[in-house]
Amino acid sequence: MEFTVHFHDQMIEAKLSGRLEFTDHDRLRDIVSIIGDKGTNRFVLNLEGLQFIDSAGLGMILILQEEAEQRGVKLVVRRPQGDVRRSIDLAKIGEIVDIEY
Amino acid sequence: MTITLPHTATPRLVIPSLSVPADAVAAARDRFGDALPDDPGGDAVVALLANGADRGALGAALEGNFSHIVELTEDGDANGLWLGAPSLESAFFLSLTTPTAFSAQPALLICDTLLDRGALTPERRSPVELCLHEAVANGVVHGNLGISSSAKDQPEGYRLFSQLVNEQLRDPACRRRRLEIFVRWNRDELMMSISDEGPGFDVERLRLEPDGSARSGRGFMFMRALSDGLTIGAGGRCTSLRFEV
Repeated sequence: MEFTVHFHDQMIEAKLSGRLEFTDHDRLRDIVSIIGDKGTNRFVLNLEGLQFIDSAGLGMILILQEEAEQRGVKLVVRRPQGDVRRSIDLAKIGEIVDIEY
Repeated sequence: MTITLPHTATPRLVIPSLSVPADAVAAARDRFGDALPDDPGGDAVVALLANGADRGALGAALEGNFSHIVELTEDGDANGLWLGAPSLESAFFLSLTTPTAFSAQPALLICDTLLDRGALTPERRSPVELCLHEAVANGVVHGNLGISSSAKDQPEGYRLFSQLVNEQLRDPACRRRRLEIFVRWNRDELMMSISDEGPGFDVERLRLEPDGSARSGRGFMFMRALSDGLTIGAGGRCTSLRFEV
């Protein structure tokens, strides 16, 4: 999994690409470290470029949600596509995390 | 069985079916249960992979139409359940060490192979790959590496989990353990069984519908939802999946 980071006013957007799976466990701390960076209060996880997510990847999204809450930051998941959207919907992640389709 | 690979392009081993020890056949049947057909099959044509085989080597072996693909351990050991699994048309057996099963994306490569062989359609690939991937992940992380899902449940548990994964991947005992996958198909069905060498778990306590906020447990939920049959046997060490294709 790769990601790029963009700053807009009070918002940070992390755009993920490739596959988010159990082997990416080391990358999670990299994303956690930028939540709330530069005084931002909104963190967008853009999944438009993500092609595959497994149950471990979904768990990482929930961990990011918790970390964001602890920092007083609003987390939003944006534009999951195809199989990624199917997995997110199947696991009912939308009941826990705000998702913008 | 310890093997030293010759310096040839595609090390292979032919094992006549009649020479397979009875206890090897029994061990495979004990682990895989009904997933192994009664047909003793023909002579096995085994591709031997050097320890630490990467995706390229594994992909090339899968393209080679071998009945068995076996990665050696760091000690040159090839022992595994694969020896007792039959060599059948429309089937293959993959036996990997834990680090390779972790890093080489075997689920993706197996599905590429099944597509090439006409055993899987592009439309059915996605759910099949996800289910196989989840079974492999469980077998590697919770089975062979022995890491419990509960490691993530404490505050900043993800850091502990990551640390444990890295530590266990360096542990020689974990590195020797095998993740073994048996795949067979016919015109109507695709069947896969994934076996690990971990401690197993109490299958009766498995929740197939984790609550929405749980940090883990969705793997089996996906497998049950996206396959046409899910069986967990051998005390949690063998997951069998069936798909109508």
